[in-house]
Amino acid sequence: MRKIKFLALKEIRHILRDPRSLTIAVLIPILMTLLYGYAINLDIKNIKLAVMDFDRSSESRELINRFYNSGYFAPADEAAVLLAPEEVLRRGQAKAVLTVRYGFSASLVNNESFTLGLMIDGADANTASAAASYSEVILMQYLADRLPPGYDMPGINLSQVVRYNPDMKSSHFFVPGLIAVILMMISALLTSITIAREKETGTMEQLLTAPVKPIQIIAGKVIPYIGLALFDGLLVWAFAVFHFGVPMTGSCLLLLFFGVIYVIAALSLGILISALVRTQQLAMMAALVVTMLPSVMLSGFIFEIKNMPLILQGISYIIPARYFILIIRGIMLKGSGIAVLWPQAAALVLLTMVLLGIAIKKFKLKIG
Amino acid sequence: MDRAVVTEKLTRRFGNFTAVDKIDLAVEYGEIFGFLGANGAGKTTAIRMLCGLLLPSEGTGRVNGFDINSQYEKIKLSIGYMSQKFSLYADLTGRQNLEFYGTIYRLPRRELKDRIEELKESLSLSEFIDRQTGPLPVGWRQRVALAAAVIHRPRIVFLDEPTGGVDPVFRRRFWELLYQLADAGTTLFVTTHYMDEAEFCRRISIMHRGRIIEMGPPLDIVNKYGEKDLQETFIKLIREKERDAQNQVSGS
Amino acid sequence: MRTVLALVKKEFIQVLRDHNMLRLIFLMPLIQLLILGYAINIDVKEIDTAVYDYDQSRLSRDYVRSFAAGDYFIPEKPDDIELMDLEQGFTTNRYRAALIIPEDFSENIENGKRAEVAMVFDGTNANSAGIAMGYSGLVTQQFALRESGYKPSVEMRRKILYNPDMESVYFMIPGIVVTLLTMLTSMATAMAIVREREMGTLEQLMVTPMSTPALILGKTIPFAILGYVEMSLALAFGIFWFNIPFVGSWTLLYALAFIYLLTTLGAGMFISTVTSTQQQAMFFAWFFMVFSLLTSGFFTPIENMPEVVQHLTLLNPQRFFMTIMRGIMMKDSGIAELYPQILALVIFSVVIFSFSWMRLSKRVK
Repeated sequence: MRKIKFLALKEIRHILRDPRSLTIAVLIPILMTLLYGYAINLDIKNIKLAVMDFDRSSESRELINRFYNSGYFAPADEAAVLLAPEEVLRRGQAKAVLTVRYGFSASLVNNESFTLGLMIDGADANTASAAASYSEVILMQYLADRLPPGYDMPGINLSQVVRYNPDMKSSHFFVPGLIAVILMMISALLTSITIAREKETGTMEQLLTAPVKPIQIIAGKVIPYIGLALFDGLLVWAFAVFHFGVPMTGSCLLLLFFGVIYVIAALSLGILISALVRTQQLAMMAALVVTMLPSVMLSGFIFEIKNMPLILQGISYIIPARYFILIIRGIMLKGSGIAVLWPQAAALVLLTMVLLGIAIKKFKLKIG
Repeated sequence: MDRAVVTEKLTRRFGNFTAVDKIDLAVEYGEIFGFLGANGAGKTTAIRMLCGLLLPSEGTGRVNGFDINSQYEKIKLSIGYMSQKFSLYADLTGRQNLEFYGTIYRLPRRELKDRIEELKESLSLSEFIDRQTGPLPVGWRQRVALAAAVIHRPRIVFLDEPTGGVDPVFRRRFWELLYQLADAGTTLFVTTHYMDEAEFCRRISIMHRGRIIEMGPPLDIVNKYGEKDLQETFIKLIREKERDAQNQVSGS
Repeated sequence: MRTVLALVKKEFIQVLRDHNMLRLIFLMPLIQLLILGYAINIDVKEIDTAVYDYDQSRLSRDYVRSFAAGDYFIPEKPDDIELMDLEQGFTTNRYRAALIIPEDFSENIENGKRAEVAMVFDGTNANSAGIAMGYSGLVTQQFALRESGYKPSVEMRRKILYNPDMESVYFMIPGIVVTLLTMLTSMATAMAIVREREMGTLEQLMVTPMSTPALILGKTIPFAILGYVEMSLALAFGIFWFNIPFVGSWTLLYALAFIYLLTTLGAGMFISTVTSTQQQAMFFAWFFMVFSLLTSGFFTPIENMPEVVQHLTLLNPQRFFMTIMRGIMMKDSGIAELYPQILALVIFSVVIFSFSWMRLSKRVK
């Protein structure tokens, strides 16, 4: 036990002495939190819309106003109106162009068929489909409000309530997930590199000649990083709660408990990678591809797993982050407890045990 | 007559610390000069100034007739350098390393090819010249590194502890190669820890705490202090100087 | 100069012998392209919705059915979860929305009064929730209009340029290509320079008559070339596997890529001056890449970011090259359309490259 403590202290000293490691460990998570909290916003609003109104009636003006007042569309530059729609889009002066031909108001009065033209820049697919949907809604609302006499439209009041995130802040969605990503980053990335570095510089061999058991070496290497990872996790969590106002509805203890398990899973991955790999460079690359990339892309952090091709969905089942993200969002935003989260909890614990087992076995093989 | 290396009160300071303290060196063309001293005595700093890697804080020097303060680029063209780490590219073969350095030293293609063949013969590199240098045993790597240092036939070659960590058989062989070079007219400026190697040199100098405390033929120095051999002389000298330094500090 | 060529040749030999580097250049991009190309999606669809229809009339059933049309919602009557326990349906992530129709729904409508309906949304993913809310409003509106029997004479004719099927892959792949290019050139350059320093060969080179400019060029040119190789491979993959269009000028793209490369190589050079080991260089390059990725308009449009951040993105060369790449690939944009971005890139490349050059020169002396 003493040996482990000694090894762990040595590792801590290593970390503290290197200002760059500290930067990575502290500064980067904070910067990432700020970035993800503020910059990432998938809502699409203020789409630049250029309008060519050849009807110039009060009806056309009202329709156009509805477009701009909806908050979804914003006016394009004045000059855009002078060009043909294709040209406007080509030059990027607007993302969509609405053309109201002469005869719009007349068609409304006489109930004649009429088409409005909407040309959308499809290069940005997400904005394009948003523009298409929004414009449909706005037009429909406009027409519904001008229901001719003799038609009865049922009046339906749709009240909409948003649970768990009434202000609809995207930070509430991303920042808890970010904690999972950062924990993975610190644990897997840093451990795999440290162990690889030790092997490269030959100090691993040195350690092995000492009367120390392999498992003590691993423990000594790994414990400081558990501490560091938890510290970082706590830092980002505090940021989330106190700066971004993410609610903490559930149990802190439960979150901490699963946090530790998750960190152990991540560390096991790190150890596994370093056991299979010869150089630091390779360790880092492998860690990036095997841990970070899936944890960011395939874990539900940003993108919905349900919408992905089946293969990727299958892969997501063995990514620890997938479960932890559900757990942390559940605990923080919904106040969920074990009763509700037990499937994810069980999966996480199982996955962690498997990873840890494989990691230790591979490590022993490598040096034994 | 022109000297290969000559310095006058050459000094280099790093902040408050004086690494090289007003040294006066003189090395003749064609001789093997041994540059000795304890660790941290300032040998590496001195060599770096002579090679144009570092500018002196004070003093002057000429290497191959070029001023080390103002003509260091010319110096680089005319000298060879073999560092402690043998600075070869591990994942390149010996030949590729030689081609690389040869091109950097501006050897024309045809001449470079011939030169490599020549070195292959004279330094016995055939067995491993086309293997990657990284996995080679130290002794062989050392020979390739030497070839790279002399590829452009420099008049002076600086060797910074070229035989560190090599077994005695290889060391002897290496020195035989060095003698070959010297016989052909190359001046060799060698740093070493091995006193038996120092005895191979025509003249040596001993540095201590930035100063040169002795310079001349090894035999003369040994006789001067009456010890058994150069090793004992060296140890005695260093111990003496250390004591003097301590006494100075404690002011007795 | 022959010296530079010798350096470039040496660097290539080293790279080709270095299996890790090869994996970085060829394998990683492939994997990333595949994963990113398929994983990235921000569609909101198939929202499991718990329906509590207490009216059970023709009207209410039609209303529920209108939610099922299109694939936004999947309405179903929950067998095991009472309205009172709806919370549980949300916390177990079984449902993401709930529709509650009171028993007086059809009665009110038939009597010409306004009917009340309620929907509850899981707001965890604010973006999805917002979109779902929008859809639910649309569905309700459409239902009401249909019920009135009124068939509006005005309709919208939509035309989508450049990407008629609105494939998000077309949008993503160019972005991914730019990202890969950025990552390779900055990371590999930084590591190559630092490796030389770590191994001690840098000092050896200093003793030779090699000039500092020759050294720097020798270190950056190989990665510029590799950058082009990777970009070409990634584009080829995107075109043949994902069927993305390329309607613009290849020459223009490659020419502008050169200017962009100057900024990333410069970044790599800069990183090599602030790190001392290859591992650190890799880390810093990785983070530099992540930050520039997120603020480049890749995932989320820059227009959606807070004002402050939008201004910050103007400092990110990747943002401009993204626009250029997308413009050339999808819209056949030329210099006339892209000159603001080109100008910005030129300024950045000159500034970054010369600054990094000077820094590196000083360090190397």
